[in-house]
Amino acid sequence: MNKFGQCSIALIATILGVLSAPALAQTEVYRARLSPMPTTPQTVNEITGEGEVILTLEGNTLTVEGSFSGMSSAAIAAHLHNGPPAQPGPVAHALEVQEAASGDIFAMLELTDEQVQALRDNALYVQVHSENNGPGELRGWIYLRSHFDS
Amino acid sequence: MTISKLKLSKQIGISLLLGGALAACDSGSAPAESTVAVAAGPSFDSQASSGSDLFATNCAACHGANLEGTRLGPLLTGGAFLQRWGTQTPALLLGNIQANMPPGGSGNLSDDDYVAIVAHILNENGVDSVTEPLTASTDFTIADNVSAVVARRERPEPPAPQGLTVAGNTEDFVEFVPLTTERLENPDPADWPSHRRNPHGHSYSPLDQINTDNVRGMTLEWVWNMHEGDSEPAPLVYNGIVYLINPGNVIQALDGRTGELIWEHWTGPANGQDMRNIAMYDDKIIQATTDARLVALDARTGEQVWETEIADSSLGFSNSSGPIIADGKVITGLAGCARYIPEDCYISAHDATTGELEWRFNTIAQAGEPGGDTWGDLDNVFRAGGETWITGTYDPETRLTYWGTAQQKPWVPVSRHLTINDAGLFTNSTVAVDIDTGSLDWYFQHVPAEALDLDEVFERVLVNRGDERLVFSLGKYGILWKNDRVSGEFRGFAETVFQNSFTHIDPETGAVTYREDIQNAQLDQWTSSCPSSAGGKDWHSMTYHPPTGLMIAPLSQTCLENAAREVDLVQGGGGLAASRKFFEMPGTDGKLGKLGAYNIDTMEEAWSFEQRASYHTGTISTGGNLLFAGDLDRYFRAHDVETGEVLWETRLGTSVQGHPVAFAIDGKQYIAVTAALGGTSPRTVPSVIATEITYPDHGNAIYVFSLPD
Ligand code: HEC
Repeated sequence: MNKFGQCSIALIATILGVLSAPALAQTEVYRARLSPMPTTPQTVNEITGEGEVILTLEGNTLTVEGSFSGMSSAAIAAHLHNGPPAQPGPVAHALEVQEAASGDIFAMLELTDEQVQALRDNALYVQVHSENNGPGELRGWIYLRSHFDS
Repeated sequence: MTISKLKLSKQIGISLLLGGALAACDSGSAPAESTVAVAAGPSFDSQASSGSDLFATNCAACHGANLEGTRLGPLLTGGAFLQRWGTQTPALLLGNIQANMPPGGSGNLSDDDYVAIVAHILNENGVDSVTEPLTASTDFTIADNVSAVVARRERPEPPAPQGLTVAGNTEDFVEFVPLTTERLENPDPADWPSHRRNPHGHSYSPLDQINTDNVRGMTLEWVWNMHEGDSEPAPLVYNGIVYLINPGNVIQALDGRTGELIWEHWTGPANGQDMRNIAMYDDKIIQATTDARLVALDARTGEQVWETEIADSSLGFSNSSGPIIADGKVITGLAGCARYIPEDCYISAHDATTGELEWRFNTIAQAGEPGGDTWGDLDNVFRAGGETWITGTYDPETRLTYWGTAQQKPWVPVSRHLTINDAGLFTNSTVAVDIDTGSLDWYFQHVPAEALDLDEVFERVLVNRGDERLVFSLGKYGILWKNDRVSGEFRGFAETVFQNSFTHIDPETGAVTYREDIQNAQLDQWTSSCPSSAGGKDWHSMTYHPPTGLMIAPLSQTCLENAAREVDLVQGGGGLAASRKFFEMPGTDGKLGKLGAYNIDTMEEAWSFEQRASYHTGTISTGGNLLFAGDLDRYFRAHDVETGEVLWETRLGTSVQGHPVAFAIDGKQYIAVTAALGGTSPRTVPSVIATEITYPDHGNAIYVFSLPD
């Protein structure tokens, strides 16, 4: 992982430490791996990068903290979308994103009850848009972090 | 870069979106700009020149800047290309390219752009006597307009190697014992005499000298470099001799103990193309060729004994897999059946001693035949697909041979001028065919009206469990199917990887229901689903391990976006006709490769082993409780069959690909595996997803391992 990734993990740890301490029992931690949007041999060198987003749910409050690196160009936007695994859907929330090819993502969102349910059903995903790839360059569906421990 | 640069807005509940950002979420692209010079109308030369630029941006990534081909796409020049397209017209070539290329979608290529690209391809192939500009209906015969080809017809090129290139006799190494039906059906533990070792297709060897306790000490015994080209080889080992199929239809016999070459036979065509497996019977090695011939060689000397045609390769028919033997009959499949022609795909049986044709079973039901009403009112000419491109299995008890069939072509119902209700028998089915008559005993169509290029064509593994006589199969949807192999009845299923193509699989009948947007997909409309056309599972055989009752499969975790393209109903046309893009499977953490072990009684997953690199070998298991598999990242590993734990690993010269085998000579056990290139979508899909995995683009070889004496 790059330098920046380590920084952001430290940041996440700090924020989670502060925010989650009082209500540890209800905290649900989710994760999305960011990877390139659908590609072909023609576009494989133009849709690039990877990243990781950790999402912490307390009540209906979702804290989104992540980082990405190696995109083809600077990020212009990041969103939380509604859609079951591998099925693109509409935007649910905008996320703060650093306008760089490698950078950080952040948000604190108030989810509706339906969105909380969608989160638990793996029906939310994070997408990062870049200058060169307006329709999206990185994407990752959100699962309970424990889903990835095998 | 520092954290402070990030504007941290702690505002809660941001859901406001700027119009601009929303627009950025749509996948609209800039309107097409015509790149063809217009002015006073183009000439062939000006078309070819603008086609050259268009080719560089849209095609060269896969076909090479000079049309020389890459591992992502075939070459588009020279003898092999002209052999296929020389007898056709520019109009047909254009139609084929426009319907199929580039596979990622036609983007903003206009009709004129496609014409220009075809002009460029023709130009590069030496088409030189053209005075008129090319149009969508230009219908001259391509080869007749290549002066070099016309000249060459009078003065042929120096021929490629042909026939026996290295003479020898296995009897100088070991006494020859004919391979009888009895020995094929109950193989000696020391042998691996047929593809997947026994007629039931278990890919299991009872040998246990190398086992979970001592496999850590396994070392390389010998290695033999094979001919270069696309290769997914499944070696045979009989009586200490390794029979090895190389790319370009070359067979070699090697001494299993030392790796000494005994004989080599070039059956041709010498095209570097892929052939997965060969068969042995009595004193013969029997091969299908990439140009759809069936050839028998003397197993002792490699000399040709007989030759016959499986199908007419000038019509596009080909083989990529070889035969199996069922009681003295050579049972062979067929591929290259996507074209709109009156002839369709079949399974055929030939006499192993003479090569004489005994029967053919057609996989496409014609109008008026049983199942013929499942193709709407399509004329027979336009009923395509149903390839049998993966070798089946055989049950000596039922005297039935079990095969999978590929899906309908083109890939999406709307391109076929059909709907999701046109099942298209006998595609994407298990067919059980009587080996004596060639008649269909039963069929089970796993995925009617297949809509995403996900075949159910792979090996049928036959298992006796108590009184039950079962057949298992695992297709690109990643669903392990269990059927009764006497009646065909559905007995259960397991989802081995994430799939969202079906919203429902009926637990009683096995009937599948496609997601609605897939059911209704229209031309040029993208659908997004899992798994991708690399599978789930693909051509790499799974293994059944009788001592534990586990079925252990090499699996792949990627997804695709798919859009149907338009195909005209014209004879000679057809094809695959979909645009495709690929991405990681959600929830897998980017792990493309998976080994999954399934309890065949409960159909539950017993264990799985997942990793970034995709698997490129079949799995085999042994009496030593070992499972062997190899991957794109050059690792070849032994796992504990019961837990998946890695017990031994090594790294080969290039990607490990093919079908491992276990054998013994004079009481000493060996494990052999091939490294190879090519291998179709299981390689091309990971190559755009796991781009960081690198390996040499050459280095086909067989490696043989053993325990130190
Ligand atoms: C993503 C890689 C890729 C791209 C890009 C691509 N092709 Fe292909 N092409 C292939 C593959 C793979 C095949 C073999 C198809 C098959 O066997 O299904 C093929 C087959 C063909 C064939 C048939 C070859 C034969 O010998 O029959 C032609 C012609 C062709 N492509 C032309 C083009 C043109 C023209 C373009 C650009 C407009 C293009 N391709 C872009 C991968 C690609």
